[in-house]
Amino acid sequence: MSLSEIPKRRKKRNWAPYILIMPALLYLALFFAWPMARGLVLAVWDDEALLSIHAEAQRDSAVVGHIPQNAHLDILDQQGNFVPEEELNLENMLTETWFRVKGEDAEGNTIEGWAPDSRIRVREEAEDGTPLAGTVRTKLGTKADPLTSVYAEPNKHSQVVGKLEARTRVEIVDVALLEVWYRVRGENEKGEPVEGWAQSRYIQVFGDESRGRVDRGNTGQLTTKFIDKMIHDRFFLPALRNTLLLMVIIIPTQFVLAIIMALVIQARLKGNTIFLYIFAIPLGVSDLAVGILWFSVFTQNGLLNSILQYLGLISHPSPYLTAETRHWIIIAIWLAEVWRATSIVMVIVVSGLQAISDEVLEAAELFGANLWQRIRHVILPLLKPSLQVALILRTILALQVFAVVIALSGGDVVTVLANETFRQYSDFRNPNVAAAYAGFILLLSMISAIIYLRTIRTQEELAA
Amino acid sequence: MAEIRIEHVTKRFGDFVAVNDVSLTIEDQEFVVLLGPSGCGKTTLLRAIAGLGMADEGRITIGGRDVTYLPPRERNISMVFQSYAIFPHMKVYDNIAFGLKMHKFDKEEIDRRVREAAEMLHIEELLDRYPGAMSGGQRQRVAVARAIAMKSQVLLMDEPLSNLDALLRLEMRAELKRLLREIKATTIYVTHDQIEALSMGDRIAVMKDGAIQQYDHPSVVYDLPANQFIGGFIGNPPMNFMHGQVQRVDGRVQVRIGDFALTPAEAMLPILQSYDGKPIIIGIRAENMETLNQPAADALEVEVLVVEPLGSQNLLTVHIGQDIVKVSTHPTFKVEPGMKVWLRFPADKIRWVDSDSGRVLYP
Repeated sequence: MSLSEIPKRRKKRNWAPYILIMPALLYLALFFAWPMARGLVLAVWDDEALLSIHAEAQRDSAVVGHIPQNAHLDILDQQGNFVPEEELNLENMLTETWFRVKGEDAEGNTIEGWAPDSRIRVREEAEDGTPLAGTVRTKLGTKADPLTSVYAEPNKHSQVVGKLEARTRVEIVDVALLEVWYRVRGENEKGEPVEGWAQSRYIQVFGDESRGRVDRGNTGQLTTKFIDKMIHDRFFLPALRNTLLLMVIIIPTQFVLAIIMALVIQARLKGNTIFLYIFAIPLGVSDLAVGILWFSVFTQNGLLNSILQYLGLISHPSPYLTAETRHWIIIAIWLAEVWRATSIVMVIVVSGLQAISDEVLEAAELFGANLWQRIRHVILPLLKPSLQVALILRTILALQVFAVVIALSGGDVVTVLANETFRQYSDFRNPNVAAAYAGFILLLSMISAIIYLRTIRTQEELAA
Repeated sequence: MAEIRIEHVTKRFGDFVAVNDVSLTIEDQEFVVLLGPSGCGKTTLLRAIAGLGMADEGRITIGGRDVTYLPPRERNISMVFQSYAIFPHMKVYDNIAFGLKMHKFDKEEIDRRVREAAEMLHIEELLDRYPGAMSGGQRQRVAVARAIAMKSQVLLMDEPLSNLDALLRLEMRAELKRLLREIKATTIYVTHDQIEALSMGDRIAVMKDGAIQQYDHPSVVYDLPANQFIGGFIGNPPMNFMHGQVQRVDGRVQVRIGDFALTPAEAMLPILQSYDGKPIIIGIRAENMETLNQPAADALEVEVLVVEPLGSQNLLTVHIGQDIVKVSTHPTFKVEPGMKVWLRFPADKIRWVDSDSGRVLYP
């Protein structure tokens, strides 16, 4: 290759890093941001809030107004309309069946057109149940026209193509399944009257067929009703109180213990690796397992009662985990959580301690600081960034405490926010209120993180 | 009075003996430099004096008080660390005040001493700043100010200048020397830089393999090294060593380097007589040889291999037998590589080294 063949290097923007992070961004957007946004929207978006009222009994006709869910309606008229097969069997949906029939009228003319199934008795069916032939039913009552009208369309408002006598034998050429549309009159949210057509699937009709209510809407609307529902839920305040109470008793205990554990490890005593392993064991146990483990300690015939009985301190096993002894449940949760999650804090604190230079600690010692003064004036301030990380992490995890509570209280006697989220979703089938709870937990997490970041600033940040 | 006595101090790390039976006396207000290559135990010894690593054996007294097993805070010492070890989360003021606060001085006294120390190191304007954004030289000054604010009787310094760049080191060296003269503390200064040792110390203790090799004034250590190691460690360039042979010719003791015969000083003759027929090492400093551009009876002919002009002198590299010898000449002495020059060795500048023990022989 000669020199002239070497392509000239042009100064070019380097796209490689952007291309490299694309999969990560895509992954984040697809599997994180989108589902999360969808989930949170549930808490503030009621997609059944409003029912669109159409000018004509047609899906594509203009919308003349909206009537809110649960509003009462006057039903003025009804009419059948074709309905796509995949939409059949929806709740509340009223359908009517029309037959396209072919038969002779009194004059012997062959008439072909649509008649509702209420007017035709099916006499012959194919093996799969498709009606093939039938007879026109006799009309009861005397005032009515004894003849049965046959329409050009499967619709009572369409043109009448002929009339058939009762008991005329007809061939059934086609079957149409129609959804009933109602012509309704109601009021929109501002109290203005709205009149128009709506599908029966959205409307609950009362006995006399002239009154009804909007069962569910088909148009979404921003709403605070799920949040209101959450706040007025009778478990909301107990759950919030318990969650905050657990945070307040768990986190300080964990931090004191974790700092002591880290200092023990950092002291490089003989066998400090064994300490580290022992301290780290709970990291490998699932939170539900920890809950069950402590349940087995505190249950009526559990370890604690057995030991106390063996030692002769009590004569009968005393119950701890009952509705009358809520404080014991809180204590059990506290112990279980401290046992389970202190080592996470310890790991962070150990790594923070290792970042403090030995010479700085020696300088503190040399200039006259005793152990407590070294911890108070040098180690803790220098650990601030690590403690901040640990504090944020622990607070967020404490707001999510769930499995341990479920295991120790069954989720009723002592409840927490995460448990209410689960209960709303799973037991009460109310994903919107569950989303409101989840969003509330997220909000608390964010607020606490911001408070920590603001209040525990490192000195360098303050100086900058 | 803060005389420091170190008596038979030994410090081990596992099987490794870092400090081996060292005894040293540092007089009140004296400035002693512990000098030695990396791993010679000088820092370990300093830490034993500081109380940051207790001695395994021996005794250390400061001002007559046995401090061997006292914690650092009770020893009345202060220290400047190699990495400065200033507290990154405290303002300069609080860094300097730290020791005073720990010793519960009252606020006014602390303030007075902090400002005094800051003034001595010209860092008054830094008092309200955090060390994070400060330069190495500024941190160094903070570390020194923190140490002198204590007004301890003993000041320990562990390679305080080793993290500074060359120019700053030169500046700080002079400043430290002035400062230490002012504060009148007994000072032990650890360094591996022999120029620092020579220029600053009242006395130098040269260490190697955990033991003191020589403990004397800088000029003595430089001129009259106790052994070949010290001669080869101190000085830039270090002392030259050549292999020779002691011979008695017609009843007179001579030392032969190849065909060249060297006449020792009168005072050395009785000692060298016992080396008759044995090899001996001749040590001489680069600046102590006379360089001639013409033959002389008492001069050795050598070929110049390399000429390094250093401004104030020209450094010549020559081979004498198997040994590489550096010779310092005046810059006006015209010489090119490949040329022949003649070296004269003044008898009083030659140091005679026992080739078995490495000890320098003195009458």
